[in-house]
Amino acid sequence: MTVFHFFNCAILTFGPHAVYYSATPLSEYDTIGTSVKAALVYLLTALVKLVCLATFLNVSENDSFDPYQELLKALIGFIDVAGLYFALTQLTHRNISQNHKFQAVGLGWAFADSVLHRLAPLWVGARGLEFTWDYILQGLEANANLVLCISLAALGSLMWLRKNKPKTLIPIIYACAGIVATMPSITSYLRRGLGWHFPKVVGFELFTSLVMAFISWQLFAACQRPST
Amino acid sequence: MATTSKARQREVFESMYSVIALLFILVACVEVLDAATVVDVYRLIQYDLAGVPFGSRLASLNHHAGSSLFSPGTDLSRTVLVLPVRELNITFIREFIGQRQPLGGLLLLLPRIFSSENRGSMGGADQNSGKELMRNILMELERLLIHANIPYPVYFAFEDDNIDSVLADVKKNDATGQPATATTGGYKLVVSAPEPKKLISPTMINIQGWLPGLKADGDSNQLPTIAIVASYDTFGAAPALSVGSDSNGSGVVALLEIARLFSILYSNPKTTGRYNLLFGLTSGGPYNYNGTHKWLQSFDQRLRESIDYAICLNSIGSWENELWIHVSKPPENAYIKQIFEGFSNVAEELGLKVGLKHKKINISNPRVAWEHEQFSRLRVTAATLSELSVAPELLESTGGLFESRHFVSEAAIIRSVKLVAESLARHIYSHHGKNIKIFADDSSLAINPSYITSWIDLLSRTPRVAPFLSKNDPFIMALKEELADFTVDVNLQHESLDGIFTFYDTTSARLNVYQVASVTFDLLLLLVLGSYLIILFSFLVITTRGLDDLISLFRRPPSRKAKTA
Repeated sequence: MTVFHFFNCAILTFGPHAVYYSATPLSEYDTIGTSVKAALVYLLTALVKLVCLATFLNVSENDSFDPYQELLKALIGFIDVAGLYFALTQLTHRNISQNHKFQAVGLGWAFADSVLHRLAPLWVGARGLEFTWDYILQGLEANANLVLCISLAALGSLMWLRKNKPKTLIPIIYACAGIVATMPSITSYLRRGLGWHFPKVVGFELFTSLVMAFISWQLFAACQRPST
Repeated sequence: MATTSKARQREVFESMYSVIALLFILVACVEVLDAATVVDVYRLIQYDLAGVPFGSRLASLNHHAGSSLFSPGTDLSRTVLVLPVRELNITFIREFIGQRQPLGGLLLLLPRIFSSENRGSMGGADQNSGKELMRNILMELERLLIHANIPYPVYFAFEDDNIDSVLADVKKNDATGQPATATTGGYKLVVSAPEPKKLISPTMINIQGWLPGLKADGDSNQLPTIAIVASYDTFGAAPALSVGSDSNGSGVVALLEIARLFSILYSNPKTTGRYNLLFGLTSGGPYNYNGTHKWLQSFDQRLRESIDYAICLNSIGSWENELWIHVSKPPENAYIKQIFEGFSNVAEELGLKVGLKHKKINISNPRVAWEHEQFSRLRVTAATLSELSVAPELLESTGGLFESRHFVSEAAIIRSVKLVAESLARHIYSHHGKNIKIFADDSSLAINPSYITSWIDLLSRTPRVAPFLSKNDPFIMALKEELADFTVDVNLQHESLDGIFTFYDTTSARLNVYQVASVTFDLLLLLVLGSYLIILFSFLVITTRGLDDLISLFRRPPSRKAKTA
């Protein structure tokens, strides 16, 4: 019954992306093209990131937390933000509203991330005889990542696309974007620096993703009000 | 004011912490995973005796683990029973195997002290009695398993922390109700082994070495020979665990030490005796001393006639104060009398007791209980020195499971070596009746206890079931090298084991223990995931498009019809 388990984990990992697409107005406006483009940008960004990581980072023999290396990693992680910026501003989308644009980009981004990082381990590991919770947790992590990606895309669209936003909110937006963008480094710190176990880390990720989603939603709504 | 606001803040923080803590506790509950465990397992021997199958007839295993036989009515044909030998009810097992009830497989856990890696001290008297009990249980179990035809795989493993925790889990699972099958999860034990194949023409290897004596000037007659013989191979329920420390590791060690002592004497022409000494390490001991038979057959007539007498050493490692000399000629025979008197005189001086046992040979009976009987059948005077007072049955006392290093004492071996070496020396140098200690404790000819310890340790780590020893097995090479250090003309004699035995391979394997989820768990997970996705879908539709849209999704086209109308 291991293929069954694989199937379950795959549903958990990739299901929410599909549900998100079909449940929200994204499907009505046929924004799949935008998502695909965002996914391609993600792939390119991942490649650039890989090159940077390979160039600047030492391979650590032990699994310990090295602050300098982690800082470097976090900086390289900001390439993601650049890629997202490119996807949001430079790509010519068919005229879809900003509202849908960031969702489509975030979705494509998150989906590409899931496929790249989770499909192969799932295929190799979840079909084995030994049962572990790892792949279920990994699926939950993918969910958290989806929420975070869409939050980041929302914040990015607020930063770069919306011109007339309340001045008081700007630092908050930037701060939130900064937090969301450094999420991978934070989780890496929790895992290696503090020695948290995987379930705990995933719980943390889920929790923070929900919090960040709530905050960015509120910010988005606050920015929406004066313009309309 | 400031303090109250701070307090409120703290309260908020604390409530936050409690929420986070709750979340973490929920998550931590899930953390019960451990990775696949791999255990070395040793298969029960599989052999045919004159075409009749015995032992475990299968090798590959892929079933769920169970811990108890005591579940009437349940089908155990897809369950691997994991039974620690220390808790084994031998009568129940006997009945179970006797009734040939279906079973997926059997994994017997041996106590740690029987592991060859474990060489701790002998412990207190209390522990000793426990060991003695354990030994008896294992003896019974081994006898039972060797003589049964078991249609499922049977493996032995040593208890360790991993397997103990698995067993504890399995027991807990069994205690809560249903035994583990495909629908309730638990542990799956997997041994992937090919179908056992017959061993084609198993060989036995005899090793012999000479210490030539010195002829007196002008004596043209051939020198008489004294043979010292020990069979070195073993047979047991698990071929990979049959190290036979006592039977007959102790005999091999004693033989090597005697060879060492006499090689010192024979290296000087002044102390070289008027006897040739022949040392033989024979194989095929458990199979009616088939190897000894072949070895003697290979001698030419003159050599065989030149053998004055032969001393066979068998199981001399755990006796307290009485050894037995087994002979097949009547005690009144002059040669026998001479040997026995030689031994008993020395024994008396050493404060030991030696008894004589006479057992007639029945030529028509194929069973050869003692090694000397092979000599006697060819009319060579021979005797077996052993701590066993009764002749063992076929495939008994051949170095099985229970013979661990713990049950052999170096002191006993040293006593035996002293007895044999001293009486041999008196015979060779004609010091009959004189109280001369040639191998005194502090002389240059003293017995070397560390030599004995190191060899008995090596033998207690090396399984030596003849059919599974390859032609140039490192152990046989080591024996040969060792004998070559003390004697000359050392050679190996390869003989094929003939007769009624057929053996099958796969003596050891690796057992993978997987923790598996049940089908019901997977179904439940699917259900949970499905509802999660549906709720997510509904939530997203409601928040982005409103409740009406969600409801309209489930409404059938009639609404459109109504519109057009």
